Amino acid sequence: MAAGDKPSVTEQALQDARDSLDEGFFPLEFFHDENLHDLEMERIFGQAWVFIGHESEIPEPGDYARRYIGDDAFIFVRDESGEVNLLFDSCRHRGAQVCRAEQGNTSHFRCPYHGWTYKNDGDAAGIPQKSKAFKNLDREEYGLAHVPRLETYEGLVFASLAEEGPSFEEWLGDFKWYFDVHMKLPEGGMEVIGEPHRWVIDANWKTIADNFNGDSYHTAWAHGSVLDLELGGEETVGHAGTGDSLDRHIHCDGHTTSMRGFEDEDVFLTYPEGVVEDLFTKEDLSDAQWKLARQALSFTGAIFPNFGFLHFGDTTDDPEKDVAPFFTIRKWRPLGPDKMELWSWGLAPKNAPEEFKERMYKMYTSNFGPTGNFEQDDVPIWKGITESANGQFASSQNLQLNYQMGLEWMSEMELDDEWLGPGFAYSENLEEGGMRLFHEQWYEMLAGNDRTDATGTPMNVQEDQ
Amino acid sequence: MLAEREEQLEALLVEREVEQFLYYEAELLDNRELHEWFDHVADDINYRMPRRLMRENTASVFSERGYYFNEDYGSLKARVERFDSEYAWAERPPTRTRRYVTNVRVTRDDEALAEDELFVEANLLVYLSRGDSEKHTFFSARREDVLRRRGDTFEIADREIRLDQTVLSTDNISIFL
Repeated sequence: MAAGDKPSVTEQALQDARDSLDEGFFPLEFFHDENLHDLEMERIFGQAWVFIGHESEIPEPGDYARRYIGDDAFIFVRDESGEVNLLFDSCRHRGAQVCRAEQGNTSHFRCPYHGWTYKNDGDAAGIPQKSKAFKNLDREEYGLAHVPRLETYEGLVFASLAEEGPSFEEWLGDFKWYFDVHMKLPEGGMEVIGEPHRWVIDANWKTIADNFNGDSYHTAWAHGSVLDLELGGEETVGHAGTGDSLDRHIHCDGHTTSMRGFEDEDVFLTYPEGVVEDLFTKEDLSDAQWKLARQALSFTGAIFPNFGFLHFGDTTDDPEKDVAPFFTIRKWRPLGPDKMELWSWGLAPKNAPEEFKERMYKMYTSNFGPTGNFEQDDVPIWKGITESANGQFASSQNLQLNYQMGLEWMSEMELDDEWLGPGFAYSENLEEGGMRLFHEQWYEMLAGNDRTDATGTPMNVQEDQ
Repeated sequence: MLAEREEQLEALLVEREVEQFLYYEAELLDNRELHEWFDHVADDINYRMPRRLMRENTASVFSERGYYFNEDYGSLKARVERFDSEYAWAERPPTRTRRYVTNVRVTRDDEALAEDELFVEANLLVYLSRGDSEKHTFFSARREDVLRRRGDTFEIADREIRLDQTVLSTDNISIFL
């Protein structure tokens, strides 16, 4: 501990703070703490299913992209047989990195140190002077290490550093029902346009996790400029808890999504009629999923721990132009208690006309990513939270952040009994249960427990029923 | 001999005019006089900042589809006007910037250019200081512009900004480059 640093949060302190979440409190100091960061890396990022990339980013054999889980660098690569692999980027001889570029295409990776060479499926192909230098080394045992578990869902590739644990299907649980709506609505699915935006910001990763887990309350304030300029409609960007829209906050198996929409209207996220008619299909969706898509104007959501998405309609880059939708997915990669790298991808329906895909990508960059008219204003706020959490004061005064919105003594909050999908759907978007759910799972995993200990019935529902 | 000399002198004067315009433009942006800056944007502008790629064997390669900016007059205008809003938090208070424009080269005989247009390449280094802190960052880029004469000044008819980073070290890009 450097002189002047505050003492780090101990596991005991963590346990003691846990109960206050039931009252809707979470300590500010937890947004900036070395010990917690180390614990998070070991017990969350060492266990969880973490997003790697979309298959459409590496369409051809040999295509690769360098990707990360926490501090570990991997090569996300399609081998000659078309299989997707995730190989630890470290030569088995002396540990040097064998992949230097961010993206590319190669049949082999060659270590710059002593020339060990690996095929793009990870197998060791060449060891210089092997017959003299390593005559008894079994080449088969010396391929690049594969990540223990790798799963693909609708082209989205997730991986886990843990040998054992819940399968990806179990991890996603019934939330798949919601994500299917995004990925399967257009015939042929979704594809990534271009390469992800990447930028490093001085903020704790949990600030953005909070934001994507149902912060409908911030939109009109943090993004008031978008409203002022009419780049987004009142129903998309306007104040939570107002207007005639169908607003729902949904918690489902530890993941969340918030939506705005219009009951019994054909909204389809403001996709143009041609795209809806030509591409949108009920084939892989249930009637209820189709109905959800039909009524939806916008979705925000997060898959625990560090994957977020936005599928928005009714925004534009120019008040004189028509509105159009965008679809973006992202990951936040912790680099320290006060640092993370944001990765953000723009997607579009694979089989849509090229011109429309370009328009969707344009809408994505106009709204999100480092130049987005929304996102420009978010990041400095998250940075501020992290700074406030850093000093003595948050700790010495035991400052508690308030997550009480939606708890029964704070708001009239009802569940929608008729809700068409799985999980729990709140009839209002003025509630912060998605963030509490995120932090509950965070507590469970840091304590070494199963995350699902926290993903059952929401705490305020348990009280009532 | 004399004619050649005159041609060289003429080229020198044009270069000086272009440089003075780029310095003036940098000053407007550093002073955050965005509307005055936007007065120098042509109504047929294409303002682009493609995403730089990092590849094994190529020093300078940019995405064919991915970008940070790809603006026309209307969307660039919206970005300028957004900063008039009291809710545009990224620039409240404004980033302190200083733009250094160097290595300016002017080409006139490009076939794609109209009579009154010049193709201008330059390097750009922007210092950014934000918030109540000593911290700062830089954007380093190469710029390719088409400048069009308008009276005794220029308007920007086309701009491509080729940033040198692939992973950005910044909260956001809430300034114009």
